[in-house]
Amino acid sequence: MPELERGATDHEAPREPVVLAKGLSKSYRTGHIIQGRRSALVDLDLEVLRGEILGYVGPNGSGKTTTLKLLVGLLRPDRGEATILGEPLASRVWRSRAGYLPENPYLYDYLTPTEYLDYAGRLFGMPRQKRRERSRELIALVGLERSAQLPMRRFSKGMLQRAGLAQALVNDPELLFLDEPMSGLDPIGRRLVRDLILGLRKAGKTVFFSTHILSDAETLCDRVAVLRAGRLLKVGPLGELLRLDVSHMEVLASGIATTAPELAAAARVERVGDRLRLEVEERSLGRVVTAIEAAGGRVLGVQPVRRTLEDYFFEEMGGAPGASAAGAGAWGEG
Amino acid sequence: MGRGLSRTLAVAANTFRETVRERVLYNLVFFAILMTLAGLLLGQLSIRQDEKILKDIGLAAMDLFGTLIAIFIGTGLVSKEIERRSLYPLLAKPLSRGEFYLGKFVGLGFTLLVNLSVMLLGLLLTLAATERRPDPAMLTAVYPMLLGLLLVVAFAMLFSTLTSATLAAVLTVGVVVVGRFANVIRDMREVAPNVPEALVQTLFAVVPNFANLDFKNKVAYGEAVPLGDLGWITLYAAAWIVIVLALGLASFRTRDFR
Repeated sequence: MPELERGATDHEAPREPVVLAKGLSKSYRTGHIIQGRRSALVDLDLEVLRGEILGYVGPNGSGKTTTLKLLVGLLRPDRGEATILGEPLASRVWRSRAGYLPENPYLYDYLTPTEYLDYAGRLFGMPRQKRRERSRELIALVGLERSAQLPMRRFSKGMLQRAGLAQALVNDPELLFLDEPMSGLDPIGRRLVRDLILGLRKAGKTVFFSTHILSDAETLCDRVAVLRAGRLLKVGPLGELLRLDVSHMEVLASGIATTAPELAAAARVERVGDRLRLEVEERSLGRVVTAIEAAGGRVLGVQPVRRTLEDYFFEEMGGAPGASAAGAGAWGEG
Repeated sequence: MGRGLSRTLAVAANTFRETVRERVLYNLVFFAILMTLAGLLLGQLSIRQDEKILKDIGLAAMDLFGTLIAIFIGTGLVSKEIERRSLYPLLAKPLSRGEFYLGKFVGLGFTLLVNLSVMLLGLLLTLAATERRPDPAMLTAVYPMLLGLLLVVAFAMLFSTLTSATLAAVLTVGVVVVGRFANVIRDMREVAPNVPEALVQTLFAVVPNFANLDFKNKVAYGEAVPLGDLGWITLYAAAWIVIVLALGLASFRTRDFR
């Protein structure tokens, strides 16, 4: 099992795992005439602890969706086992206490969200009155009040995503599996879903969500599990993964040109509007600050360089480092 | 009511709602009624044969359009859910694959029942409009027709768990056509004596004989259908439906949804 760092949760009472996967593996058949197999997930050992938000991050094709589908029973593992909420994976008992949002959900387009939520509620054996109340509550929660009676064929991708999220919550689950929950959402929708996930944690729910949008993982997660090519690279609290790099300092300065010879000691120089952002080794910091001031420039601020999750990824996976400056926090599509 | 049954019925109710909202259904019912009215015109051309022709064409229209609904909606029932991934959130709930599959079958079965009833009502009204007495014996032709259509749905669903909707429709049409000419297979050696007996017997055994469920001519000619025959074909159709549903379910249960 990859190193499991508890970090932020170390000081609290140990929390029980609500998802416990051991050696979970899955491969897919490839080719029609000459058949081979492609590994999608290899020996996954993973714990999701009660009450946490665990972000499952990795590039496209790294096995995130496969893992979630294995856990909710849409795929059968080649080998390995898992328990969910203390029940074996194959059991249906835990399903009444869990919710699942698939990636890019397609919901019945001939139904209105109210009808769809009513249908979902029936599958949990909820009485009619309760279904009605719950549908109203959830439609308000995901901000679809004005479209509650519209057939979903008229919905945009973002509206479908919200309706999908509502169906995952219909049974007030203890545990939520969300596959790319921010996908297709506009900034307002993303904020709404982000707040909703944080609200769920506050209510003691456990959220296991996959994303390739790293800024979402940074904003939301207690811990992050990093996946590459079907293998789990690392699991840990964000603070551990993105530890402060105290060997380098970030200096923000103005009134000086990027080509000034005084900046030669800086490891990296970048213009941000009318300011300069410099990355300087700690031992050269005093020299660079003095040189800037001597050249008539002004030092606006100094702080340790903080790695983003994206920086971590590019370092771990050998990608292009320049992308981190864009701050988009995502890579790839879908 | 058991939880499992309640979930199956929830899927069935949603399937019924889906089929009712499919426009193709209304087109087919419209054409069936149109055909019945065409029978009315044809009947007027034949002296003293109008009632027989009307019943004949009316029942044939019900059978034909019922079969089209069973094939084209039946093959889409499961395959569309898989292609569009709409079943993913459902199967993550306490709904078993078996409950889902049976719910789909029951839902379309109910749609076919409602459609046959509407078309039968249309035929009875047409008969009444021509001052013919509504004939309750027509039910003895419609009931076996419904059993046959349920069997077609079971085949359509089986094939749709194995392949695409289009290929499933082609295969189902194949089974229906071969099944309607099953007696020809049985009597094949009369025209081709070199065909091995075992092959003929096997072919005849693996294809449902839809001719067993066809009482249209009898009823149109005013012959009574014995109750014993209806009992026998009920068992015959039920056995076939159970076998085909079990095969479909076995395939659906082991399927990975990538």
